Amino acid sequence: MGIADQSALAEAMNRLWAQFRPQIEERIAILESAAVALSQGALSAAQCEEACAAAHNLAGVLGTFGLEEGTVRAREAEAFYANGHALAVPRTGQPTAIAADLRAILSTRKTV
Amino acid sequence: MAHRILIIDDEDDIREVAAMSLETVAGWEVMVANSGAQGLTRAATYKPDAILLDVMMPGMDGPSTFRELRKNPVTAKIPVLFLTAKVQATDRRRFADLGIHAVLVKPFDPMTLSTQIANALGWK
Repeated sequence: MGIADQSALAEAMNRLWAQFRPQIEERIAILESAAVALSQGALSAAQCEEACAAAHNLAGVLGTFGLEEGTVRAREAEAFYANGHALAVPRTGQPTAIAADLRAILSTRKTV
Repeated sequence: MAHRILIIDDEDDIREVAAMSLETVAGWEVMVANSGAQGLTRAATYKPDAILLDVMMPGMDGPSTFRELRKNPVTAKIPVLFLTAKVQATDRRRFADLGIHAVLVKPFDPMTLSTQIANALGWK
């Protein structure tokens, strides 16, 4: 692949990042809402399932845009919400921190 | 030679990045479908050289879609590669038993996705 092709790929990735960033942020918002509900002991099964699906998508897509740490954190969130124990007791900490980390990681992507 | 690929994935961001990658890096022709059902129709009409199939999709998931592809004589012999964000050793064995050619993991590198596919299928 030549330099011109690499440049075309980078340009296309930047365009797709701009296009899909809003929906990526929506998925992080789902995780943030789930973390708040969890801290209040009010996370429903449907909300837990939605958070798991959002985390699954983020795990797949963030690394593709060069945000490998985002994939790692999203996998942790997916594992957390896939575990039925998430519904059992109110808790803060891990899910809140993961959502905050993901929000911060988004801003680290450099436009090539 | 430009290979013809069908990407079946319900997640539009992944689908679009994969399509753009294969078109830009490898110069392949790409068709996309956003569900297993749509993928079955497009595979039968488009007759791609290979199918990149998401595992976890609402409704008809990857394994179900694969089984339907194999039932149709028109699509039965098209090589299928699974694309998944979550794969464990047991999944790989289960997918291999189904007859899947390869399992590619998300996230993928857009720069090398076409090479991964070509290597898995023995394309030069």
